[in-house]
Amino acid sequence: MLGLIQYPARLLRATRRQTAALALPDRRDLEAIGLHLLLVGSVLLIVFPILVAAIVSTKQTGIVTSLADLAPGGHVVENYRTVLVDYQFGRFMLNSFLMATVIVIGKLALSIFAATAIVYYDLPYKDLLFLFILFTLLLPVPVRFIPLFQLVADMGWTNSMLAITVPYLASATTVFILRQHFLSIPSSIVETAKLDGVGPLKFMAFVLLPMSKGILVGVSVIMFVFAWNQYLWPLVIINAEADQVAQVGLALLEGDVVGGEVSWSLVMAGSMLTLLPPLLLLILFRKPLLQAFVIQQK
Amino acid sequence: MSSREIYTDRRTAGLLLLPTILVSLVFLYYPAARAARRALYSSQLGLDDEFVGFENFAELLTSGGYRSRLLLTVGFAAVVVAGVMAVALLLTFLVHEVGTGKSIYLVAAIWPYALPPAVAALVFIFLVHPTLGVLSGPLATLGVDLDWFADGRQAFVVVTVAAIWKQIGYNVIFMIASMNNIPETLTETARLDGVGRLRRLLWVYVPIMTPTLFFLVILNTIYAFFGTFAFIDIMTGGGPSGATNILIFDLYQEAFDFFNWGLASAKSVVLFAVVGVLMYVQFRLTDKYSHYGA
Repeated sequence: MLGLIQYPARLLRATRRQTAALALPDRRDLEAIGLHLLLVGSVLLIVFPILVAAIVSTKQTGIVTSLADLAPGGHVVENYRTVLVDYQFGRFMLNSFLMATVIVIGKLALSIFAATAIVYYDLPYKDLLFLFILFTLLLPVPVRFIPLFQLVADMGWTNSMLAITVPYLASATTVFILRQHFLSIPSSIVETAKLDGVGPLKFMAFVLLPMSKGILVGVSVIMFVFAWNQYLWPLVIINAEADQVAQVGLALLEGDVVGGEVSWSLVMAGSMLTLLPPLLLLILFRKPLLQAFVIQQK
Repeated sequence: MSSREIYTDRRTAGLLLLPTILVSLVFLYYPAARAARRALYSSQLGLDDEFVGFENFAELLTSGGYRSRLLLTVGFAAVVVAGVMAVALLLTFLVHEVGTGKSIYLVAAIWPYALPPAVAALVFIFLVHPTLGVLSGPLATLGVDLDWFADGRQAFVVVTVAAIWKQIGYNVIFMIASMNNIPETLTETARLDGVGRLRRLLWVYVPIMTPTLFFLVILNTIYAFFGTFAFIDIMTGGGPSGATNILIFDLYQEAFDFFNWGLASAKSVVLFAVVGVLMYVQFRLTDKYSHYGA
């Protein structure tokens, strides 16, 4: 469908370009080429470190002292297998997946409940309640991880999945984004629901959620990337290696390099594995992700 | 009463809000309060807690080491914020201007948003490793002798570049949304007036994007202060000789290397004040510039 609509427009543009080329060398075309060159150059610069990492992860030793050594090696399967199995990276990745999934689902559910109450209920002190939730933006993990460590340790949660998920479940950002989105749903639809006598749970499930699909996907990606990339909190609260997450697992792997046990190619293989899940999500869901960010800024 | 407030049952509303409020109270507010209280006690390993009032804070204020780490952190944040925003602004502008392949270029520009800091740190160590690094050889021929495991200034530069790299994508995400919002007529007018591209960016686009840019200054500052912990921990461990020991890493060491919980709590309170001030500034600026469209 889309292709059919765009076809004539593309054709038109091509024709216009041809006529222009016949007349005189078009300055705009030259500029366009320059732009593309600049863009390709800058994008390559940003991607270069990861390209190097990807190449090194396929080599035997990972000793690359010059640009000429940057040819892919033949140790892909061996390297990734060694990292995943012998160095427990499969375990770390699984822990990270569990942590991120629980955080995404839990945060989403809690935030949908809270935002629904804030937007669709006639409540006293509603602004104060919303402020109470928003104020937690001032308390990111780095300013409270010391007392949080003591609290969670006192609760006996050290080395547990509870420790790296439950403290993350309240989200001012997600409540805020959902509230903004709910406020943009036409009130006529809401009033129809009221006239039909729809209860709050049914209202959430059959009216709100279907109308919020894009935004829910967007905030889920934001939450997943946030959870997956956590480093400081797992580092302090998890000290049993088998319970560790991929981020800290990477740092452990690097420690082994310094100790001379592991080659850099294995560290780069671990890095590629750790990068893959959030990168795939970003590429697959970039549109809803960008949409959610636009709302966040307001 | 707005027409959206269709429900009145307070018990259901309370149940819906309860989980978020409970988690906030237990894991956010309570630890913060506990840190504020603990900051007034001296509590070193093996000694009984003793109430010392504001002694911990006085110690921080008069400690030359802490003050220089504060300065270092502010400098680090300034370089990271300025660097990432300059790079991201130019990159966003290129993506905005290009005709074909826009969406591919956009993905190629925003992907570092997904990049885990630990991965960024490790890949960077490998890239510019003094003896093994891919870039160490080429840099040496340019006259740059990489020695950042021992040279503090070099270590600062390497960590800063890595931290900037990771934050580019996040900035482009917000900048492209803001730039796409600029009315086409304005761009056309500038073109007809013969305003060149770079001048159009600096004198037409940037002023209109002010609210977004302020928002990003705050977000990037918070990132530089707190989000860069993994870089320091993995790349330099705060060294060499304190050259990259920013406040968040210093706080971590105070608690988990020196077990000085009272002083660590006081340092948490200081960092909380930093976040508070930044958020307040952002709030005021958003208020002030909200009439600029967007």
